[in-house]
Amino acid sequence: MKKSTAKKLLVALLAFVMTFAMAACGGGGDEKTSSGDGITIFNSKMEIQDQFEELAKQYTEETGVPVEVYYSQDTVAAHLATKYASKDPYTINMVDAKDIYTLAKEYGADMSGEAWVEDTDYAISVDDKVLGFPTCIEARGVIYNAEGIKKVTGKDFDPASITTLDDFKACLDSLVKGGMESPTAIMKEDWSLAAHYLQQVYEEREDPEAFIQGLYKGEVDLMKDEKFNALMDTFDVLKQYNYAKSSPIAAERDLSEQGLAEGTIAFMFGGNWDFAEMKKHDYIGGAGMMPVPQNVQDDYTGKLVGGGSKYIYIDGSEYTSEEKQQQAKDFLNWLVSSDAGKAFISDTCGMVSPFKSNDVECSDDLGKAVKTYADAGNLVPNYDYDPDDHYSVLGAEMQKYLADQCTREELAKAIQDYWANVTPVEH
Amino acid sequence: MERNTFSYKLKQILMFAGPGTILFFCVVVVPFIYGLYLTFTSWDGVSIEKPLVGFANYAAAFADTAYWVALGRTAIYSIFSVVFINVLAFALAYLVTSGVKGQNFFRAGFFVPNLIGGIVLGYVWKFVFNRAYVAVASAIIGAPATSPLATTGGAMFCLIFVSVWQYAGYMMLIYVAGFMSVSDSLKEAAMIDGCTPSQAMRNVTIPLMRSSFVQCIFLSITRCFVVYDVNLSLTKGEPFNTSVMAAMHVYNTAFTYKQYGMGQAEALILFLVCAIVGVTQVMIGKKGEVEA
Amino acid sequence: MTQNEKAAAAKKRSHVIMIIILVLLFILFIIPFVMVIINVFKVKTDIVADPLALVGEHGFTLQNFPEAMEKMNFFVVFKNSLIVTVFSTILTILVSAMASFVIVRNGKWKFCTGLFALMVASMVIPFQVLMVPLVSVYGGIFGVLNHRITLILMHTGFSVSMATFMFHGAIHTNIPLELEEAALIDGCSRWQTFWKIVFPLLKPTIATVAIIDAMAFWNDYLLPSLVLTGKELYTIPIATQAFYGTYSSDIGLIMAALLLAMLPILILYLFLQKYIVAGVTAGAVKG
Repeated sequence: MKKSTAKKLLVALLAFVMTFAMAACGGGGDEKTSSGDGITIFNSKMEIQDQFEELAKQYTEETGVPVEVYYSQDTVAAHLATKYASKDPYTINMVDAKDIYTLAKEYGADMSGEAWVEDTDYAISVDDKVLGFPTCIEARGVIYNAEGIKKVTGKDFDPASITTLDDFKACLDSLVKGGMESPTAIMKEDWSLAAHYLQQVYEEREDPEAFIQGLYKGEVDLMKDEKFNALMDTFDVLKQYNYAKSSPIAAERDLSEQGLAEGTIAFMFGGNWDFAEMKKHDYIGGAGMMPVPQNVQDDYTGKLVGGGSKYIYIDGSEYTSEEKQQQAKDFLNWLVSSDAGKAFISDTCGMVSPFKSNDVECSDDLGKAVKTYADAGNLVPNYDYDPDDHYSVLGAEMQKYLADQCTREELAKAIQDYWANVTPVEH
Repeated sequence: MERNTFSYKLKQILMFAGPGTILFFCVVVVPFIYGLYLTFTSWDGVSIEKPLVGFANYAAAFADTAYWVALGRTAIYSIFSVVFINVLAFALAYLVTSGVKGQNFFRAGFFVPNLIGGIVLGYVWKFVFNRAYVAVASAIIGAPATSPLATTGGAMFCLIFVSVWQYAGYMMLIYVAGFMSVSDSLKEAAMIDGCTPSQAMRNVTIPLMRSSFVQCIFLSITRCFVVYDVNLSLTKGEPFNTSVMAAMHVYNTAFTYKQYGMGQAEALILFLVCAIVGVTQVMIGKKGEVEA
Repeated sequence: MTQNEKAAAAKKRSHVIMIIILVLLFILFIIPFVMVIINVFKVKTDIVADPLALVGEHGFTLQNFPEAMEKMNFFVVFKNSLIVTVFSTILTILVSAMASFVIVRNGKWKFCTGLFALMVASMVIPFQVLMVPLVSVYGGIFGVLNHRITLILMHTGFSVSMATFMFHGAIHTNIPLELEEAALIDGCSRWQTFWKIVFPLLKPTIATVAIIDAMAFWNDYLLPSLVLTGKELYTIPIATQAFYGTYSSDIGLIMAALLLAMLPILILYLFLQKYIVAGVTAGAVKG
């Protein structure tokens, strides 16, 4: 008896589901495809996805051109690989600077002569063709929370007072004395350690390219390199005062950022993109950025490292019609020159605009700091030609150093060995 | 009936196996062969040109120590996971078929981990290990505790733990079906003949459930060898790339390091290894099968 | 105490022990769900601050749900997921049961052994290996991506080997050959024998395969995200991914999205669970 009731119920349920599904199939249909009318945008900056979709809606209302914004959980390279394999690429692709030299070089549409090119110092050109449109400026340095520091020391914090590592240490000690037991945080993520921190060793010198070539040839002795030692000395200090000292590689990024936002942590190495996360917590204000303090004083003292970021290229392959390419170009121009576009970049998303004509004030605190440095010409340019596995392999080595599982000599050797054995990147 | 003619065979095969076989070939075999071709090119995954390079990718794969380390690590992980998954699943199946109150409720409960996808599972467990565990452990020892995910052995332990947790309920269902297929009359007959319950289990039930064992062990081996989702969300290879499993290494080589051909070649080696392990296990298992 | 009473007492004791073990294991198995449910009613800052607290500092909140539903376009993606899951599951069961029948009953034909070995071997191919070739062939050459039917057929193609493997085991051990022979003598064709005799007897395995595959289809992210590129066809996992990301995401919303994604299948599962038990028992009585 019971069994048959169950059976009847199941049959009824199935029938219901089937009818519903059938009806939906007929109604829902496959009328639209992404390769139809209008342009598609691949956004790789996840924190602005919502805002980007809003902007697309607004653009469609104004111009009648349909715009769809997509984001993928998959890695950018894997995702774009599948899009090209299926001959259905996005019209507008947001990628990292180094991808412009490979992907856009092959598929990108030439944007030379577009109105926005004159308006920025950060466009990327390959073989005399403008291929990369900078979405924003991003820079790296030490993030501080002045409010949090003031609460402990009772004095206003002046980042300009800290130029050398000794100044920095003195400040940290005064914080500890004031009751903030561990005033620093270090992100354990490999991209932060290798692609952002270690990267400064290559970038903060006169001729980064020559230095990298030296690494490829195995001619560099990092232990004798002033910059490497200066930066690692600072890293040691950051380690010493780390709130997650007992297990630094279990430090969760959002916990560190929460501490920074709430003022329980005073300093963390990072970049202005971290603000998007910080402001989600009970942010007490006072966040700013300063250069990484080092005991070596040189041309790079007082500067952040950074530049144009999240580059956009327009697909110029046979899969995207001329008309669509033009629509994409129009969209980028609109993004730069219209009030709505300017407000989107600086105010809604709190990014630092790489365009001179954008005078809308940047809405986020770290962005404001970066803008001050950028406007004063105090940004050390990014070096964009690392091999693809650099951040992963050397990130693991930096993690070992962070966890005290290797000495500085071993780290230096690992870095030298990596470069000596990797296939050089042509560019 | 002319059961041995070619046309009879063809008709039977087309009629029954046709639809499944066609779909299987279209979706699995054809792309696989195309992928095989790609291992002979130095394609980066996106560019238009796919220059042929012969066996260079295989040479590179064999020389890639990180890959072989990852493969060895995957083997260790698989051995532990498979053993624990099956022991736990069998025990669970035994408990939920023994007639305790609410056994259906328990069965439903143990299967629950299969309701969520691997990525999400990994994040939830990461949350448990990194936050909940640390908070509780710190309170107990009175000093800051270290998350197990931050130590080399700990990360492996967590991976095995989560895999066992994830698959045990699934395998349990198969064992439950196995238990149910061994009729009570056989067991009772054995008991009347003087067997204790544990002897009846060892000599009657287990041999008759052989196909359940073969199935479960095969399924768990193949799943463990190609583990990716949980690996990605739970440890991401950390600490210091010491928890990178073979599938993750393959994925990184192909997409993160943009050496598609080499990644595909490494994937093929991975495929061969687990195909050999899996098929051997099934062969051995099938050989001694008892007909009920 | 008589012998019988003693035995009864011992039995009772072992029962209690078993139930205790089961309850403990049960708690372990549902911990992540408890975590999700505890945290879904809290705002993000509270979740980060204390994931174990029942109620956060900012109090009890339902705000995660409407926001998650709106961002996911919940009802549309729910419909899409439902269509894909239902049809893929039914198709998988039908083609796999049929294929395994001809394979088991004609074990000596080279084609059958070959096909079965190939299917078994293919189960260990990591999906990432097939990803790019798959879209090259079906997107690049045939241009059939972005249709639900393509996804349904691909889902079936990928799961047919595992389902066949499971039906193979079931037919091999549980379906007596005599029954089929009797049917043949009564004048049934192979086709009729299969549908009238064998298929109904496979009920327990059908239930298991249905549940496992439906679950996999419902939760699958990678394949649908490759095939369905248009937003109007998105399934629940693709829709949730907008706030799934590795870091800069609102964990409260994720929790709500997770719960929303699981709820339909959880309800369905609780219902089907009864059916499985009935099916398994019915299949086993034959011995």
